[in-house]
Amino acid sequence: MGNDATTAATTTPASGSDTAAIECRGLVVRFGDVVALDGLDLTVPEGICFGLLGPNGAGKTTAVSVLTTLRRPDAGDARLLGRDVVRDRDAVRAAVGVVFQESTLDPELTPREHLDLYARLYHLSDRHRRVGEVLALVGLEADADRRTRGFSGGMKRRLEIGRGLLHRPRVLFLDEPTLGLDVVARAAIWRHLRDLRAAGDTTIFMTTHYMEEAERICDAVAIVDRGRVVAFGAPEDLERELGGDSVRIELERVSGAAAALERVDGAREVVREEGPQGEGSAVFRVTLSEGPKRLAALLDAVRGFGIVEVHLSGPTLDQVFLHHTGHRFEEAEAPDPLA
Amino acid sequence: MSHLLADSAAIFRREALRYSRDRAYWIGQLVFPLAVVGFIGFGLNDVVHLPSGVDYKAHLASGILMLLVGSGAVGGGFSLIEDRETGFLRALLIAPVSRTSIVFGKIAARLVASLVLVFVLVGILALFTPLHLASPVALVASVGGVTIVFVSMGIALASRLRRLESFRLVAALATVPLYLFSGIFYPIETLPLGMRLLAYANPLAYGVDLLRFGLLGVHEFPITLCVSMLTGLSVLSAAVAVVGFDRSVRR
Repeated sequence: MGNDATTAATTTPASGSDTAAIECRGLVVRFGDVVALDGLDLTVPEGICFGLLGPNGAGKTTAVSVLTTLRRPDAGDARLLGRDVVRDRDAVRAAVGVVFQESTLDPELTPREHLDLYARLYHLSDRHRRVGEVLALVGLEADADRRTRGFSGGMKRRLEIGRGLLHRPRVLFLDEPTLGLDVVARAAIWRHLRDLRAAGDTTIFMTTHYMEEAERICDAVAIVDRGRVVAFGAPEDLERELGGDSVRIELERVSGAAAALERVDGAREVVREEGPQGEGSAVFRVTLSEGPKRLAALLDAVRGFGIVEVHLSGPTLDQVFLHHTGHRFEEAEAPDPLA
Repeated sequence: MSHLLADSAAIFRREALRYSRDRAYWIGQLVFPLAVVGFIGFGLNDVVHLPSGVDYKAHLASGILMLLVGSGAVGGGFSLIEDRETGFLRALLIAPVSRTSIVFGKIAARLVASLVLVFVLVGILALFTPLHLASPVALVASVGGVTIVFVSMGIALASRLRRLESFRLVAALATVPLYLFSGIFYPIETLPLGMRLLAYANPLAYGVDLLRFGLLGVHEFPITLCVSMLTGLSVLSAAVAVVGFDRSVRR
């Protein structure tokens, strides 16, 4: 696995300040004919909150499975804190906490019993104290001795996060931590993750297909599409790279409209949106530097095409995705290879 | 090695908590044998006369106890499928715990549940049948041996079958013949030669015989044969369960 040159180059001590939390090179995972990871390269420094962002089916969950030793890659290699995830499986398991996308709770056990079980399995010396700490951390003290059977989605997810954090892992993986939660529960999870990041001794690796989530909590994101990383950086940097705000404009007459938009001062990228629109009309997306200032000029340029609707927004990761992949986020949704 | 024990104990605790909370299970397991012995045992008691001279109610009662232990133990494999369905197994597998500990913990919890059940039922049945603690050691050994063999079979089966329905069906198909040729309902010596040979190949027959020695002081096979059969099969089947489970979760 991996040729000698790369192996030698990455032989770094298992602990040390310049060891990356996660390092993947050329990861490939196939499910029969479906290629879930298609040569994934990724380096995540220690101590940050990192987001792996991509549509459903982009390979995010598969990447987490490989990095947490649940699945062997078909090719390529992955290291966690310098340890190989295949050869040094037990060391990797001891160093990571994982919060899965689906529930992994026993409905017949209480939160305290769950945490106590895992505290025993991780051989924690301060079991009772640590279980109490974690219950407080995720706000489940009042419900600590109720069976999880009747818990809400948000409570269950908080317990899962508590279980993931119990043994003070150096890297915490969260696979779609707020999927299927309502707005209030989602906000609570975000608050917990921010607190955790502020505490600073855990590297957080989360996957999400919510742009907003990545923008709000991640220090850096990698955008994956079809099993490969297409962009990497801080959300603000990726957005700045686009060089402008986004204008979404619907016009009645299409012919010649794109050319007219392109001639506008500061317009960078003009994309016609696909999908059904009204009779004859079309929707365009324009990247416009200094959007608020230049919007008036843009409107003047296309007045003759019949403006139906116009919408100006700051740069978003959604646009970053479009910019790097050539297609919009929702269009990229591939069928889940595991479904 | 110390981890193996500590981890098995942690898994055991969790399983034991689950058993202790499963009220429907305990009620079912207590009512069923009492109903069978009450209706069938009393009904046939004066009709059936056993060569050994043992009271038929007591013969049937001891047999039914073993049936209960066996079927309950196969159901131990059931818990593995449940763990897979609730997702609990996923989190367990990510923890640094050996697959062997998981299997051992499950077997141990089932063992304790079987023993508790048998002792409670013997206490009740002794009130109206001649069952008594003739040999507590034989009682524990028989219940222990049959539990280990059947839980292991259940786990091995559950490792291969993903769906609850398939598990139920295959488990029933595999175990019902074992119950029929095990001396639960009638002594093996009364059977024609062909069927008797089938019974000799049935691990449960040795468990039933040893249990009867424990509760009534009578037996058909030599005791040492029963003990060595159960011991050998326990070790073998536990190994099969560990290997089967390990293989099913390795990807």
